[in-house]
Amino acid sequence: MHFALPPRRSPHPLPGARSSRLPLHRRKQLKTIALIAFAVLSILYLLSHFYSWSSTIKAPAATAGVVIVTLLDHERFSESYISKVVANREDYAKRHGYTNFFASVSDYEEAFGDSPRSWAKVPAVRHAMALNPTSKYFFHLSPHALIMNPAQSLKSHLLDRSRLESVILKDVPVVPPDSIIRTFSHQKEKDVDLILTQDVEDLNPGSFILKNGDFARYFLDLWFDPLFRNYNFAKAETHGLDHIMQWHPTVLAHTALVPQRYLNAFSKDSTGPSPDGSYKDGDFIIRFPACEESETGDCPELEAYYKLWQKKNKSERDA
Amino acid sequence: MSLSRSPSPHPGGGWSSPGLTPGSGNSTPRGYSPSPASLAPSGISWAAAKAKSDEVRGYPSFSTRNSGFFSRQKHRISARLPSFRGQQPGYVDKDHHGRAHHRAHGRGPFGIQLRRGRSRFFLGLFLLWIGYLCFWSTIVHLYRRSPLGGGRKFVIILSSNVEGGVMEWKGAREWAIERNSIWNKKQYAKKWGYELEVANMLAKKRYSHEWRENWEKGDVIREAMRKYPQAEWFWWLDLHTWIMEYDTSLQSHIFNHLDDRVYRDINEYNPLNITHPLPEFYLDDLGRALEGDEDPDSLNMLLTQDCTGFNLGSFFLRRSVWTDRLLDSWWDPVMYEQMHMIWEHKEQDAFEYIYQSQPWVRSSVGFLPQRSINSFPPGACGVENNPRVHYQEKDRDMVVNMAGCMFGRDCWTEIHDFRELSDKLNRGLWAQLLDSWRGSYKSAAHADSEVGQ
Repeated sequence: MHFALPPRRSPHPLPGARSSRLPLHRRKQLKTIALIAFAVLSILYLLSHFYSWSSTIKAPAATAGVVIVTLLDHERFSESYISKVVANREDYAKRHGYTNFFASVSDYEEAFGDSPRSWAKVPAVRHAMALNPTSKYFFHLSPHALIMNPAQSLKSHLLDRSRLESVILKDVPVVPPDSIIRTFSHQKEKDVDLILTQDVEDLNPGSFILKNGDFARYFLDLWFDPLFRNYNFAKAETHGLDHIMQWHPTVLAHTALVPQRYLNAFSKDSTGPSPDGSYKDGDFIIRFPACEESETGDCPELEAYYKLWQKKNKSERDA
Repeated sequence: MSLSRSPSPHPGGGWSSPGLTPGSGNSTPRGYSPSPASLAPSGISWAAAKAKSDEVRGYPSFSTRNSGFFSRQKHRISARLPSFRGQQPGYVDKDHHGRAHHRAHGRGPFGIQLRRGRSRFFLGLFLLWIGYLCFWSTIVHLYRRSPLGGGRKFVIILSSNVEGGVMEWKGAREWAIERNSIWNKKQYAKKWGYELEVANMLAKKRYSHEWRENWEKGDVIREAMRKYPQAEWFWWLDLHTWIMEYDTSLQSHIFNHLDDRVYRDINEYNPLNITHPLPEFYLDDLGRALEGDEDPDSLNMLLTQDCTGFNLGSFFLRRSVWTDRLLDSWWDPVMYEQMHMIWEHKEQDAFEYIYQSQPWVRSSVGFLPQRSINSFPPGACGVENNPRVHYQEKDRDMVVNMAGCMFGRDCWTEIHDFRELSDKLNRGLWAQLLDSWRGSYKSAAHADSEVGQ
């Protein structure tokens, strides 16, 4: 007999080879099972997602919008003086679609108690945040200040990323002139929640921009702590701010110091501006620190610049 | 001979006739053993024997050309290819037929393989059992340490070596307390794959009076956060604590049920009479909320209250921005200067103060019922048994804190007693059986002796 050719193919499937044939119908079953399982799982996932989404109440995310917080003291200043400040803010807010929040110091008397009245700015900003939870920025501006360049929006002036990063004061003493604590040398815009200026010897809380969020709540609550208010800081909340900035890196890390004239230029006659902190034509804001001490309820220094602002406005409208 | 070899395949790929053909052994398909009945009458016994002996390989060994695995497979593959393409119905028929043939033969190679398989199966089972005995605990441990088990998300920080004997002589009892307390936490952490950080609270100049006395808690926690970057929750435990229940994991005890184990409305138990929610009109909804934002993910600190207020002998902190802020503002020189003579319990009082005066803190602080992580022994917070405060054996409370035992009580005796109790409650089934048998034997003997009298 000859075995010319080797056997070609076994007619009986191999135990191993069967596996590729047998599940032909099973494979379909498996496929459908897998599909159903996938569908069920994804529905469950979506449901749980929706459930958890709807069950928690989160603070609405602040997306856009600027609120200008101005704290007015009706007891110490005349209505004519206050109306000028209000007019200046309202014009600016109208131009850029911002919101104004005019607070009255007397509203917060219970909150700050026996501490100096200037502490009222802290609960006032907190109040503005509570009333405008969807706004992103809160711009606190002293009532003894005028916006002299109203065409300038806050965004193009400071809040824009590249703009802000180019003007942040890096690695400078937090409290001038020689605090051993210095600002961070690698501050980025995304870390900034508070924009602030210095005058010649302190951080100046007369004009600052605070971003809505957890940091803002933390910063304001810490600042307003009764033990700071009762400490008899010589300059009340200003020294409180100096203290917080130097002792609490979680605050400093979210703070950007900018040159004084960007946010807080002092009028020519006032004392204590930082070097190059005095108002020059075209600056965004002019501050009149001396007006705070005014006894008469009016401030001629502001008056002069108010007229200038009016004239400028008028010529703009006419043009 | 009747048929020297199996028929050639059809051009389409099927077979003209099934392999039933009684023929020589060389037509034996792989994996099929020719039973004696199917042997050709001429009885080519050598081939049959050879085929049988080759069953293991399942292929006639005389076909030298096909002895290699690949060539065999190549043959098979090339012979089969058309059938896949052609979709010839005949092919499937053949296949079925072949299978039927298999069954008809009954005792094929499968009989042997089945027997082999069974013994292999038992061998496998046996090996599995051995493996289970040897490696199961390792596997469980590995699992608990893995991201799936989540053990590394927890760090137990145990304060030890308090003052380090600088202020007072450290005697044998103090050393024993320390050794035992550390051993206790080590056992627990090891069992669940948690990290244990034994913090040395040696008295240091920078924490001495007038200069942040005893304020190292915050610094120690911050250090631990740096050291264990994967960890999420940090459990602070004072030295005079005892973990009673090793079998309870933190996950099952608290963290898988954060929303129903934790309350944020302090009015539920408020020994300090803290005003809650805050009434200030200038605060936002979150600041004035009774239950914070009701999202368990925003809980960053879990603590308990005892009869006098907050207790930081056993508490949790979660790694978060909120926690960074708390640790940063917890100690402040201006506050400290005014309060260090009043804040007797240092950071505990300071935290109570911050909780009351700074609204941002509240929504992230959750309270646990005291006995869930901080049961007191009788003697702390009153002598008579108070089920809100004191350890309850029947409920198997998890942690006992001998709070204040250094003031007029005996720390070592308390720790020792709770250690014994924990061992007794958690002894194995066998020991329990033995004990109950011994107990009944003893009572029987007792009864006997009474009768004898």
